[in-house]
Amino acid sequence: MTERYSFDTKDAFLEKLDELVRSGVPRGSINTFTPYPVHEAEELLDRSESPVRFFTGAGAVAGCVAGFAFTIYTVLSWPLVTGGKEIVSVNAFIVIAYELMILVGGLSAFAGFLFLTRLPVFRNILSDSVEFSRKFEITVESEERR
Amino acid sequence: MSSAEEKVEYHRLVEEEVLAGMRKPRKAYWAALSGCVGLAALGAVLWGYQIKKGMGVEGINNPVGWGSYITNFVFWVGIAHSGTLISAVLFLFRAKFRSAFNRSAEAMTVFAVMTAGLFPLIHLGRVWHAYWLFPYPNQRLLWVNFRSPLMWDVFAVSTYFTISAVFFYVGMIPDLAIAKRFETGLRKRLYSALSLGWVGSFRQWKHYTRLYLFLAAFATPLVVSVHSIVSWDFAMSILPGWHTTIFAPYFVAGAIFSGTAMVITLVVPMRKLLHLERFITVDHFESIAKILLFTSLLVTYSYVVESGLAAYSGSVYEKGTFLYRMTGDYKYLYWGMLFCNSIVPLTLLVKRLRRNLVFLFGLSIFVNIGMWLERFVIIVTSMARDFDPYAWGVYKPRLIEAGIALASFGFFFAAFLLFTKAFPVVAVTELKEVADE
Repeated sequence: MTERYSFDTKDAFLEKLDELVRSGVPRGSINTFTPYPVHEAEELLDRSESPVRFFTGAGAVAGCVAGFAFTIYTVLSWPLVTGGKEIVSVNAFIVIAYELMILVGGLSAFAGFLFLTRLPVFRNILSDSVEFSRKFEITVESEERR
Repeated sequence: MSSAEEKVEYHRLVEEEVLAGMRKPRKAYWAALSGCVGLAALGAVLWGYQIKKGMGVEGINNPVGWGSYITNFVFWVGIAHSGTLISAVLFLFRAKFRSAFNRSAEAMTVFAVMTAGLFPLIHLGRVWHAYWLFPYPNQRLLWVNFRSPLMWDVFAVSTYFTISAVFFYVGMIPDLAIAKRFETGLRKRLYSALSLGWVGSFRQWKHYTRLYLFLAAFATPLVVSVHSIVSWDFAMSILPGWHTTIFAPYFVAGAIFSGTAMVITLVVPMRKLLHLERFITVDHFESIAKILLFTSLLVTYSYVVESGLAAYSGSVYEKGTFLYRMTGDYKYLYWGMLFCNSIVPLTLLVKRLRRNLVFLFGLSIFVNIGMWLERFVIIVTSMARDFDPYAWGVYKPRLIEAGIALASFGFFFAAFLLFTKAFPVVAVTELKEVADE
């Protein structure tokens, strides 16, 4: 069974959330639905850092390494001096590596977000059962259901 | 907002009034859209003509090989920059007034980069070989020249477009979930799919806020890097007037200046037509006007330093190029540029003018013209007079180039008009958050 509490304002919502947490309801059984991110709720329910940062960091490092590896591979595979520059012109390749770092880092952050939130969800996508955007809601799942 | 009732009422108003802008358009909208699409179509016809007849139909030739097309490219990439500044940089600095502008500014960024991206293709001549710009494995094992600033540009602009588009879309996901509630039929299906099944749960917001922060943090260095790289297209050469270390910061300041002006050009009429006066206030415009004034001063400072560097360079060629800019064939464009970019914006020192939207709109047009002239003056004057007087020449854009330049405005404004009817033009979710703080 799921208990559902609905509020019009953030203050009332936070008050109830605080009360539930203090009364010993397991944090894992509480979920919230809010019109915008409520950072106080994060303080109450889950203070851990989002793993999105690992996806972002891994993507950025991979992009940067790939940028250097690819440019160096191409010039070594056909060593042609242009403009009197060295074959492996690291200064010039920094630009490519830098751009790829941002590109791959940004895209992998987005991919990580989709993975962690299990989005997209296309099942019942047209339903408005959860009235997102107007109400601040708290749901508490009972032990048996969990 | 003080009382709970007021907050609830404000939430309702934000949703209804912002999303009302997406309803069936009026005749004036269709007329404006038809005009813009017609202009863009004219550009496509002219481009087709150029492809059929060859590059000889344009005014570009020796010694001026980069004319109005590259001017347009640099101009539109510059326009894009302010969108990222308003959206990402002001987000990181927690400037609350950004929520009134950020969605339009992000849309402007995406459309401006799309418009800019057309010009290297038009300039290529043999556009069907455009894929040669990208490194791909081929039979002769040839790779592109990664030491060339033109290749850096390909990577910088592609990355900028991709990250800006992702940032624009991610920022819109919660608003699309709201929009779907107000729609029926096919539009409801479309917004439902685009909102990915967003319900605003705890887990979704937790990861979303971090994603948005990281994307803003990635977009911010792009503001600096992309136009720096565009400036290196010029500065890495040895041409007098181009070969200078100030080019990167000078171009970045100019880009933000021109983009801020374009935001004003777009948002003043949009605010009026979509009745968004409640959410985009005169105070918000005043904040944007201050950014415009500040960047105008930066650009003016760059003009002074640039001329000073030439004067103290000890190089007859550098001095000659700058004297030519001020007194030569393009002198009216040079002085027009200074008037539009350095003199007219000084009026923003007057608070009453900063808060006058009609005045701001007019001023933004001056700045747009001034910044286009700046790019033209930089590119053309240096090429028209390089080291060897025997090779000097004068470039005049032909009608076909003027037509394609005009068409780019048609393309850009058509895209923006479509955006105003397809998506929420103001960040509904953020407005609510700011109001409740």
